[in-house]
Amino acid sequence: MKKIYFPALVLILAQTVPALAGAPQQPKAPGIESKSYVWNEPAGEKAEILKLKGDTERGRNAYRVCQGCHKPNGAGLSDGAYPQLAGQHATVLIKQMADVRDGHRENPKMFPFAGKHIIDMQEIADVAIYLQNMKIPHDNGKGPGASLARGKELYKNDCHVCHGENGEGDEKKFYPVLAGQHYKYMLRQIVNIRDGKRRNANPKMVKVVQNYTDADMEAVVDYMSRLSMPERSAARK
Amino acid sequence: MKQFIVTTAMLAGAGLSCAVAAAPPKGDPEKGKQIVSQVCLACHGVDGNGTEPTNPEFPKLAGKQPEYLFKQLNDFKAGKRKNEIMAGMVANLTPDDMANLALYFAGQKARPGVVKNPALVAQGKKIYLDGNPDAGVPACAGCHEVDAFGYKLYPHLAGQHTEYTFLQLKRFNSGERDNDKGLAMQSVTAKMTEQEMRAVAEYLAGVQLK
Repeated sequence: MKKIYFPALVLILAQTVPALAGAPQQPKAPGIESKSYVWNEPAGEKAEILKLKGDTERGRNAYRVCQGCHKPNGAGLSDGAYPQLAGQHATVLIKQMADVRDGHRENPKMFPFAGKHIIDMQEIADVAIYLQNMKIPHDNGKGPGASLARGKELYKNDCHVCHGENGEGDEKKFYPVLAGQHYKYMLRQIVNIRDGKRRNANPKMVKVVQNYTDADMEAVVDYMSRLSMPERSAARK
Repeated sequence: MKQFIVTTAMLAGAGLSCAVAAAPPKGDPEKGKQIVSQVCLACHGVDGNGTEPTNPEFPKLAGKQPEYLFKQLNDFKAGKRKNEIMAGMVANLTPDDMANLALYFAGQKARPGVVKNPALVAQGKKIYLDGNPDAGVPACAGCHEVDAFGYKLYPHLAGQHTEYTFLQLKRFNSGERDNDKGLAMQSVTAKMTEQEMRAVAEYLAGVQLK
């Protein structure tokens, strides 16, 4: 059997294998650290995708490469490693995916499965509408529940104007649904936004949280993790 | 020789584009069976369940998706999946032959595989079903289904020989195999340790068949 292998050929093949093994590299676009940064500029691939009509059935198929992490029901992981996506506004999902693709939002774990090499613009639109139509589960990761009164006060003062009383966000303004999102995921994001590490953050949002202490953040995010948006939520068992 | 290297490099580059649509091929599995008895059986077995003793280069094909099998045959022929043995085997096959073969093997009943190292199965199962969130390894089940029976171009993996699965994971990792859709498998394996690859391969060999 060995004789029909051609060691020389194998060697040459090995040398000419392109240096593409492994994860493709994410590009980097100017973010919050840059003077020229404009939040949610209506340009680029995002603007193109937003014009496309998404299809839920096609989205079910295209979502396959996502569900290894975000799970078939869109719920991600309650420890916050992966966010909950079910019932999120399609506009928000499209913006975030486009931001990961063009390098406004750094995400080395996600980029290999969301870049242009693996999923096209129509599929992004399809996945977005598929997820928006999914029901938000109730068993998201919640906070410790120790300072909910303080959290509620902060939320009423600073957050509910944009994110809504029930955490419903605003699809036209690209403000995400918070209802049903995991505590640890939101905590990580809000800290990153405050500290300038989430490069596609809204400067208005940075301003709101810039003077928050860690305790403030934990309190308000704990409150947020208990919000519920009945019209998009799964029926309670 | 130079000419050859250039051509090979071009072929390797072409391997990145995914041209074959995911519609199942049309054909006649009975005609496929005739080719099997002349060309394929020595390595893959007449029913696509492989041969004993197993060889890491010879996968089980029984019960795999016709879309997947058809794409692999085309990729071998086009040099997008580089394998000297298979390149020779498919050289004289027509597109119809390849469709017929894909349908034949897809229609065969897969037989259970053999777990070589049971100590790795639990770890492999965890990676298969949950991935490794710390390293960013997605759950294999996301594309290959919870039962490992696959879907269209995401192949059926249940009961596959441990050595074959492990070898493919290693080759995706090194880029030696690069005919995966959107570099998905190269991206996944870039985040896996060799030990994790072995564990997943052991788990898959022992997955229950229906």
